[in-house]
Amino acid sequence: MPSYIISKTARVIIAGGLLSIALFILIGGLVYHQLIRYREFFEQSESNRIRVQPIVPKRGLILDRHRQVIADNRLSFTVSIVPFERVAGVTVPRISELLDMDSLTVEKKAAANFISKYIPSPIRRGLGPDIISILEERSKDYPGVTYSVESVRRYIEHISAGTFVGHVGEVSSEEIKSPQYRDYRPGSMIGKEGIEKTYDRLLRGIEGTEYVEISARGQIVGVYEGKKRIPAVPGNDLILTIDKDLQAFAAAAFDSLGHNGAIVAIDPQNGEILALASFPYFDPNLFSGVIPPEVWQAVVADTNHPLLNRPLAGLYPPGSTIKLLTAGAALQSGLVTDEDLLKPCYGGMQFGNRYFRCWDAAGHGRLNIYGAIEQSCDVYFYQVGQIMGIDSWSVFAGQCGFGKKAGIDIPGELAGDLPSSAYYDTLYGPSNWSPNLVLNLAIGQGELTVTPLQLAQFYCGLANYGRIYRPHLLKGIIFPDGSSEEIAAVVSITLPFSQKTISILSKALKLVVNGEHGTARGIRNKKYEISGKTGTAQNPHGEDHSWFVGFAPSDAPEIVVTTLVENAGHGSEVAAPLAAKVINEYLSHEMNQLAGSPDSIKR
Amino acid sequence: MAIEYRHLEWRLIIVALALSILGIVLIYSAQFDATTGKSLNFYYKQIIWLAVALFGLAVLIHLPLRLIDFFCYLLYGLALVLLLLVLYIGHSKYGAARWFSLGPVNVTPSDIAKLALLLTLSRFLAYTKLPPESKRRLFISAALTIVLILPILKQPDLGTSVVFAVLLFSLWFWSGLSPVYIILIVSPFISLLAAFHWITWIIYLVLLITLILFLKPGFIFGFFTVAANLAFGVITPFFWNRLADYQQQRILTFLDPGRDPRGAGYQIIQSKIALGSGGLFGKGYLGGSQSQLRFLPERHTDFIFSALGEELGFLGTMVVIGLFAYIFYMGIKIAARCRSKFASNLAWGAVTILFVQFFVNIGMTLGLMPVTGLPLPFLSYGGTSLVLSWTLVGLLVLCDYYWTEY
Repeated sequence: MPSYIISKTARVIIAGGLLSIALFILIGGLVYHQLIRYREFFEQSESNRIRVQPIVPKRGLILDRHRQVIADNRLSFTVSIVPFERVAGVTVPRISELLDMDSLTVEKKAAANFISKYIPSPIRRGLGPDIISILEERSKDYPGVTYSVESVRRYIEHISAGTFVGHVGEVSSEEIKSPQYRDYRPGSMIGKEGIEKTYDRLLRGIEGTEYVEISARGQIVGVYEGKKRIPAVPGNDLILTIDKDLQAFAAAAFDSLGHNGAIVAIDPQNGEILALASFPYFDPNLFSGVIPPEVWQAVVADTNHPLLNRPLAGLYPPGSTIKLLTAGAALQSGLVTDEDLLKPCYGGMQFGNRYFRCWDAAGHGRLNIYGAIEQSCDVYFYQVGQIMGIDSWSVFAGQCGFGKKAGIDIPGELAGDLPSSAYYDTLYGPSNWSPNLVLNLAIGQGELTVTPLQLAQFYCGLANYGRIYRPHLLKGIIFPDGSSEEIAAVVSITLPFSQKTISILSKALKLVVNGEHGTARGIRNKKYEISGKTGTAQNPHGEDHSWFVGFAPSDAPEIVVTTLVENAGHGSEVAAPLAAKVINEYLSHEMNQLAGSPDSIKR
Repeated sequence: MAIEYRHLEWRLIIVALALSILGIVLIYSAQFDATTGKSLNFYYKQIIWLAVALFGLAVLIHLPLRLIDFFCYLLYGLALVLLLLVLYIGHSKYGAARWFSLGPVNVTPSDIAKLALLLTLSRFLAYTKLPPESKRRLFISAALTIVLILPILKQPDLGTSVVFAVLLFSLWFWSGLSPVYIILIVSPFISLLAAFHWITWIIYLVLLITLILFLKPGFIFGFFTVAANLAFGVITPFFWNRLADYQQQRILTFLDPGRDPRGAGYQIIQSKIALGSGGLFGKGYLGGSQSQLRFLPERHTDFIFSALGEELGFLGTMVVIGLFAYIFYMGIKIAARCRSKFASNLAWGAVTILFVQFFVNIGMTLGLMPVTGLPLPFLSYGGTSLVLSWTLVGLLVLCDYYWTEY
């Protein structure tokens, strides 16, 4: 191996050479900056400084299925403090006086929204031009204070839109620490609930940066030429599956009842949610700017719980609407056939040492499965439940989507309780409970709890040959360049029923509305057939909850509607007529829509 | 021990003192508030630190070189412990854990580590019997360096890590290793950068192989160099393309903070304006609008050279560069003259540390180098940095004084 060891003299020469080159580079740089470009830099230093201004991108619009606007943006002003430019004892007292905030709050905001010394920290959003004109005229009095135009979210009011769009708000200090939001900037607006949260990354766009020259008096002179502006990339517009007109109609119809509750409307052929409403609801616009604390207090303290998203997170006993599950399970396991007549109903039946009542004290007599569903006879289903046993029933219920989340594409969904013998073992202790608990479950009372969404999903399966498409809200994305993408529907559950079982159940559901003794015969109409099932959920805290789940037209269903009206008594009295109105509005509207389908965005 | 004071290299001490005093004067100006007519107490603290540094120098020049030699590994261990501790209980700025707070005093362990590595490497490379290109010798000295670099990279402090790496290469060179070997050893990292585009990578590889064939460094060495270059080059695009956009941005910003338009990018713009607007004669002491109106960030620490350029102009910057050049010139002369290998390495390494910080800091104010947070020796505000710079000068004086010794 040849050696390349070099003498000390050579080393000194190399070292001296390198040193000279390095010094030459530095001196060259200084000559260039201090002598050649002196004038240019001198002028910049005389009057101007550079400020880094983030460009907030336009948040994407949220549109309904016919591209009508549900959420858009209005322009407003945001006042910020640039930490590097603020003057102690001057900036904060003056700005808090101008904005009518106390200086401690201003300091807290500035600290919470701190990004870098050179980037403005937002102090207050949603300001009008009056404050800005003061800042513009007297900028010298407000050192380190700057403002920017920012869009504020605006939602359509009075349609319970918050149930699915959610709302936006300033990113919290906890959120910014989570890996999901690590690249977000403190003080920026993010989706807090609903569509706004799930699809925040699609909606928000990418922030840009510009460099502006500020005069010594603090006024913006113009864009700094020395550094390239990075433009903001606007967010994508989202097309929802929601039908805004149907949603508005449903909200108005429900509002007129004066009760709390929920409405879910789904297209069973693809899982698209047409309407999703919770009552009472709050105005999501409250959250867009800065919410006044007293308004927030009022919303939180309201005993009607407007913040509870009832269609996804309201847990209720399903009442008689669950009898279709019990019936389907019994038919499928061959315990009964559609012809079998069970023991007659005399208004109740003795099981062991307890007498179980039917809802109709007059009794229903001897019934097959059609009659039992049509008249919602409890005694028939007590018998079925007893034959089947709890675990078999529970397995079927699980396969039909109960006890687990439906997987809707917005946060906050609850799974509900699905009892089984293991469930009662932990609740009451092993074999310390009566096997007759299944009788209550079979008719939808007791410990089973469901969300209106789960129930709607189950009936979508009954309406669509057993195939349940995952209920979802996002229908399409419109990218800033105008191109768009459709979201494909996916089958999430296949009901554990044969086509024969489903056709028996469908026939029975038709009878509930169209049969001579049907519990929902009051909503019959001449134009098309409706199928459905009423439910009355016992409520230990007061009046029973009223349920109806139905779909229409019976033979080729286009819409499944679930209505839940809290404390409104029997399902046939309140929930069923409400659902019928929603179905009617949709079907008559759909027929009109076929004439011409608008493709442009309507306001 | 009695020493003859008139034989000390006083010119070196006087130049360093001139730079330190200029630093205090500039710190006073940088933190001067025209409305109150006073300056924040940074300059005052720096005066006290200078007194501490001069006291340290007085102690140091009375120590025999052999004693310093003896304490090398002890200091190395101490530096390593402090570097590990600072990761857990240190204070941080801009997300990097860098110093301890001992009452009013901030201690940066990485400055102590610079000294420790200088002494340890000088000693090892001076006393080992292995020839300069011996693989064991290269490996051990590299290991000593990497052990200290790892906790510093974790902080993260790229600037200081680069000082350490350059110190290692520089001492290899000074203790006899041909620059060719150093180029070959560094080459995989160049391959890493060249591989961002396949054309540059191919050109680079052709050049490298030509160089190896021409130099014939031996089969094993040549083989491993080429293999490492290929591996590094292939790995880069593979991993790079798998990183998310923001992860790529984070790495690029780590390598060059000036990329981030919101942090260091702003600093460079303001630094150039300050420097350039000084012109030939400057705007006069306390007259720099960029510094006085506080447009210039970090004007008493990292960007003090920009404040100097604004207020004292091209003449001021040339004087400072001249004074530094004199220190480097004297340092190389001392290193070349020393008869003991240890003292020679020590002097050379001291010059290297001072030079790298000088070059990277001034290059940064001109936008030629990334913003790394390396201070300008003697001038930037900061106690440990000032004491370290003076310790390096003290070592130079000491090496000069004992140049005849073996």
